[in-house]
Amino acid sequence: MALHDLLPLAPLVLALLVPTTLSVAALLLSRSAPFVTASLVTFVSAGLAFLAVSLHALFSVLGYGARTPRIGSTVFDQIELDLVSSAMLLLVCTLAIVVVRYSRTYLAGEGGLERYVRSLLLTIASVTLLVISNHFAVLIAAWITTELFLHQLLTFYRTRRQAIIVAHKKFLLNRVADLCFFAALALVATEVGSLRIDEVNAFAQTRGALSPPLHLATVLLVLGVLLKTAQLPFHGWMLQVMEAPTPVSALLHAGVVNIGGFVMIRLSPLMAHAAIAQAMLVGVGLFTAIFGSLVMTTRVTIKVALAWSTIAQMGFMLVQCGLGVWHLALLHLLAHSFYKAHAFLTSGSVVQTWRGTSLVRPPRATPRFIAAAFALLCLAAAPFYAAFTFSSLHASPPLGPLALALLLSFVPMIARALAAGRRAFALTALSTAGAAAAYFAGHALFDVIAPWMSPSTGPLRSLPVEPIATSSFAWSVVVTGLVALFIAQTLVQTSPNGRLARLIQPHLLRGLYIDDWFTRMTFRLWPPRLERATVASPSARTRPKLYSRSH
Amino acid sequence: MKAPELQEAAERACARIAPTWPLDRFIAVNPFWSRTDRPFPRVAGELAALSGARLLMPRAWYAEEWREGRLRPEHVREAITESGSDVTEEQLTALFWIDDPRAPRRPLVVDVMDARARSELEVSWQEFIMERLTRFCGSYFDDGQAQIGAVKKGGLYASWREHALVDRGPALFMGLDEYRTTVASLPRTADEMMTLASAELGVPEGERESYLSALLLDINGWASWCAYLRWTARLAGRDDDHIRELLAIRVGWEWILLHSRGEELRADWRQALASWPAFDRAAQAARADDWILQRAVEIAWTSQVTAKLPAGFATARPDQPKVQAAFCIDVRSEVFMRAFETADAGVQTISCAGFFGMPIEYAPLAADGARPQLPGLLAAKYRVTDTGVPAALEATRRSRLDAAHAWKAFKSNSLSSFAFVDAMGLIFAGSLFGESFGWSSRDAEDHERAGLSQAEGRARTPRITSRVDGAPLTAEERSELAEAMLRAMSLTRRFAPLVLLVGHAAATRNNPHAAALSCGACCGQSGEVNARAGAALLNDADVRAGLAARGIEIPTTTRFVAALHNTTTDDVALFDESSPTATHARELADLRATLDRASAVARRERAPRLGLGALSDAELHAAVVERSKNWAEVRPEWGLAGNATLVVAPRERTRHLDLGGRAFLHDYRADEDEDFAVLELVMTAPMVVSHWINFQYYASTVDNGRYGSGNKVLHNVVGGHLGVFEGNGGDLRIGMSLQSLHDGEHWVHAPLRLSVFIEAPRSAIDRVLERHPKVRELVDNEWLHLFQIDVGERAISARTKGGWAPTGT
Repeated sequence: MALHDLLPLAPLVLALLVPTTLSVAALLLSRSAPFVTASLVTFVSAGLAFLAVSLHALFSVLGYGARTPRIGSTVFDQIELDLVSSAMLLLVCTLAIVVVRYSRTYLAGEGGLERYVRSLLLTIASVTLLVISNHFAVLIAAWITTELFLHQLLTFYRTRRQAIIVAHKKFLLNRVADLCFFAALALVATEVGSLRIDEVNAFAQTRGALSPPLHLATVLLVLGVLLKTAQLPFHGWMLQVMEAPTPVSALLHAGVVNIGGFVMIRLSPLMAHAAIAQAMLVGVGLFTAIFGSLVMTTRVTIKVALAWSTIAQMGFMLVQCGLGVWHLALLHLLAHSFYKAHAFLTSGSVVQTWRGTSLVRPPRATPRFIAAAFALLCLAAAPFYAAFTFSSLHASPPLGPLALALLLSFVPMIARALAAGRRAFALTALSTAGAAAAYFAGHALFDVIAPWMSPSTGPLRSLPVEPIATSSFAWSVVVTGLVALFIAQTLVQTSPNGRLARLIQPHLLRGLYIDDWFTRMTFRLWPPRLERATVASPSARTRPKLYSRSH
Repeated sequence: MKAPELQEAAERACARIAPTWPLDRFIAVNPFWSRTDRPFPRVAGELAALSGARLLMPRAWYAEEWREGRLRPEHVREAITESGSDVTEEQLTALFWIDDPRAPRRPLVVDVMDARARSELEVSWQEFIMERLTRFCGSYFDDGQAQIGAVKKGGLYASWREHALVDRGPALFMGLDEYRTTVASLPRTADEMMTLASAELGVPEGERESYLSALLLDINGWASWCAYLRWTARLAGRDDDHIRELLAIRVGWEWILLHSRGEELRADWRQALASWPAFDRAAQAARADDWILQRAVEIAWTSQVTAKLPAGFATARPDQPKVQAAFCIDVRSEVFMRAFETADAGVQTISCAGFFGMPIEYAPLAADGARPQLPGLLAAKYRVTDTGVPAALEATRRSRLDAAHAWKAFKSNSLSSFAFVDAMGLIFAGSLFGESFGWSSRDAEDHERAGLSQAEGRARTPRITSRVDGAPLTAEERSELAEAMLRAMSLTRRFAPLVLLVGHAAATRNNPHAAALSCGACCGQSGEVNARAGAALLNDADVRAGLAARGIEIPTTTRFVAALHNTTTDDVALFDESSPTATHARELADLRATLDRASAVARRERAPRLGLGALSDAELHAAVVERSKNWAEVRPEWGLAGNATLVVAPRERTRHLDLGGRAFLHDYRADEDEDFAVLELVMTAPMVVSHWINFQYYASTVDNGRYGSGNKVLHNVVGGHLGVFEGNGGDLRIGMSLQSLHDGEHWVHAPLRLSVFIEAPRSAIDRVLERHPKVRELVDNEWLHLFQIDVGERAISARTKGGWAPTGT
């Protein structure tokens, strides 16, 4: 065996070492100082991941095919290190470093830290395995273990009833999702004859239209994804995990709940042909994005507002998947992860931020200013839009609708600035230009890398058939939905005691009762095991539960 | 019952709720402030019956004090003698082995409902009502979090009724199908609701107030918030009725529940009503003996102080101090003052309330409003503004802050949040690493300079510029204020060349309760503004002339210098704003070096409690600075944990004493206090504030579930700055978090009632007590223990129910 044969394996070996190292460390954790081990191992695994990804990139450039080694192929063929996997792997390893480092200080003095660290490392290990997996069954299995270990983190405070109820709801949903996945796996295995993801994707690409069983498989997959990605009406658990320590929330929101989006992107060549499944993603995702983001704006606590935000953002990401703009979905996934991890970990700073900004009252954007802002933005955008339309860049179908959504997004900001005065407007115009530039730079970057996102399955952007992506109907539904969202929000904000506000605010405030109903069903069908005694008696609250050494 | 009597009962119940300040000015408050008219142990029993509160430590804690040798037989014997009880020492120590008795509250309608609940309804009514109320109140009182605000029509009660009319939750979740029709039949005003409920609930007349009290205690967090609204309104000469409307809503729920089931429920409720006296008796009796243990633990501490104090009786006042430094009364100052004196024997420290007796509010540059910089008990008279900056900076700052509001609209509106993530999300990868590894440039107090660059922020010089109504101050008023400041700190002669006014502030990151660690006397703000404006006032030539006319001669060679003590890192910053002269330049350089030495000594003393005892001086400094900037740090410093004593005496009495950062100190010289006006001031303001702080810590420690804010790891900020929830919801939480009181292994704060030592004639103290019944209540009803230091007699006397009694020294 020549070095020539072995060398291409190096990145794959390194990648596989990431989950291995994390799991081994979790099992060999030092009892007295669990965080010391954990800190070290997160750095080691991030180093391994970085090395794996860079070597893999280097070899791709040099033309070493990673997919052609003759030895160990049964193992190494099951590993994927394309752009999507690499990005996810680096994301998760980064989050691991941050979350472990944060927890180490944050949880000082709590009981049960060994259990915490072990579950944390195993959760992260599962996610890293999941993102580099090229085997359907491994992917699903890793997803299941991710949720199981995360369950341990969510119920870190076992005496907190809410935490137990929530974890229970999540547990039930996950098991239903798992059933969907198992059925989908069986269908795929019988239809394609392989569970290797690259082969499944290649199969779908060469065949074009999917057989009915494969259609069913994609529908089941999407159903599972919707269940696990906190889409309405299965979102309730997402709101209540504030019953776990803040870093757990950060990990959940940035590194676990978005797995559904990753799986969709990973399977994009298959999904591109699954019109029904794609339509489900667009429908449910859009509904969730609209109502989730509206409910978010009624929330009065920082963490719950962030949770609704995640629900809505996940909806948006799934809409992007459903529309077939996979590279934008990936951008959204990554950007959201970093943003949300940061937002949770700094959620204690809102008071300080409030103390700064509340020095002056917020300027009030009346309808007049909103109209003016809209007009100004149209004027500003017109030359760019014209330039793009008449240039070769027009190739990207989503440009027009996205530009419109972006334009509307800037309206509240510009309107407030107009209400404040000339100098505030000048400053805001600058930051708007900056944000727009960052927005298009991000899109352009992901446009450029889209062709390399999944080399094993071919460039994603030019997939032969894109039933939904080319369907102007789906696009117009999405655009209409977003415009309606803008109008509703504007109406409620400009007349907070108006008819529309009175009609919808109380219901938004109660999350449209969806979770109330869902929880009640859960209690009817499969109640969690709770000690009633700890509930009713008011004195239960006074137990020094957090510091007892017993758990 | 006639309506006016009912209204009075409701009013009394509302008056029994103490306010809680919002997080941006989170000052300590005795949560039982309006219950001090009765003895504390009795109030504890009443609260146990009304709410299930537990106002003593678990017996295991007393047992540990005993095993550790801090609590000794003689303390227990003294406590027994004092109590007049016939219990024996052995009976008390036997309690260490007996489980704590549980004291459930008197049943309310909601408890009766819960007791009858069908088994499959796993969420109790108590939790459900709390969830409904807290969601509504959060939305109603929100101030900056939600982008779509609550629909408010006609006040709290009327808005609640509107919301409840369309609330399908109780039907969906609790099976209360007729909820909305029941609500529709409720009266439209809070007063009518109370009248209706009191007619139908059948609570006996004598129990009405305590019943309403119990309902408010059931939602104590939000009730305290409403009490705060009322408190601030009344300080400003207005009134506020939110708390009564909140009570009406809670009464409304009781009424709705009582009407939701048939006669069986009413029968249960009548039986529950009849059981109340039994609950009261049980609650009073349950821990009668434990109070003697509590008293013994307090005696164990005060006996140490009384034993050590006399060594300072003969100490003379320093003659020619090089530097005089006035610190805040705060217990953290005690550590630093000792360190400062050790660093240079020529230092004379003084302590007083950290707002330096200046009743001011501060209107930062470009701000729409002003914030109080004085204790929560007082109303501001004068306004401090930022001077010394170019006139254009005000407009610049305003436009920057406006632009920040505009940016927030981009970040948090529903549609734009998607574009925000796409555009800005990846940038947060950098912030994540920056914060994790301490590369962030954000400093702890950076809200102070929101919309300003560092240089612009530093250029500001806060000065008293007007009265609160905007009218200019007369020269007379300025001298009067300066005189009051100096007299309050007993500094009227023998001025040193340098006099420091040392304000204090804590430096913490990502900490919702940051204000709890800042200067309480400055309403949870940094003391910098007071120190700087105060030093400038006292350096003013006209003011000094005015002072001379009032009998206070400040030598022209004396200069006042403002300073800020960072209690987290023990660093001290100096603000010297007048043009330096050669002599002062040398003295200031000297002072700088002395302060740095003092900082190192103070840090060394605090290090073991932070787990940093093994580090070298330089490492220790780096470690505390790192702590103050670490976004994950939940115990940046120990704040006022451990506070137990207030000494009102000249510093030379305590200078030899290591009080371990457990004592508030207030300089007071009775011989310079004509007609004891300063004594009266000290006993009615600083002593009361110390008692508030002491009881905030006491209550948060003994019953953190009700009077503390729980686990910081779960804190979830409500409404921008109102308060926190622990986790997803529940009541608005008041008081200190567990992390501020407990290090994970042990309680760092020992809940002892404040022992106050005053060096003044007993007759003078008695006269103040007579004139101020509220202060007298604190002493007579055992909310604090009062001692008198008599240097002439070389004795310390305790004020007991029977008058002054000598202590064992």
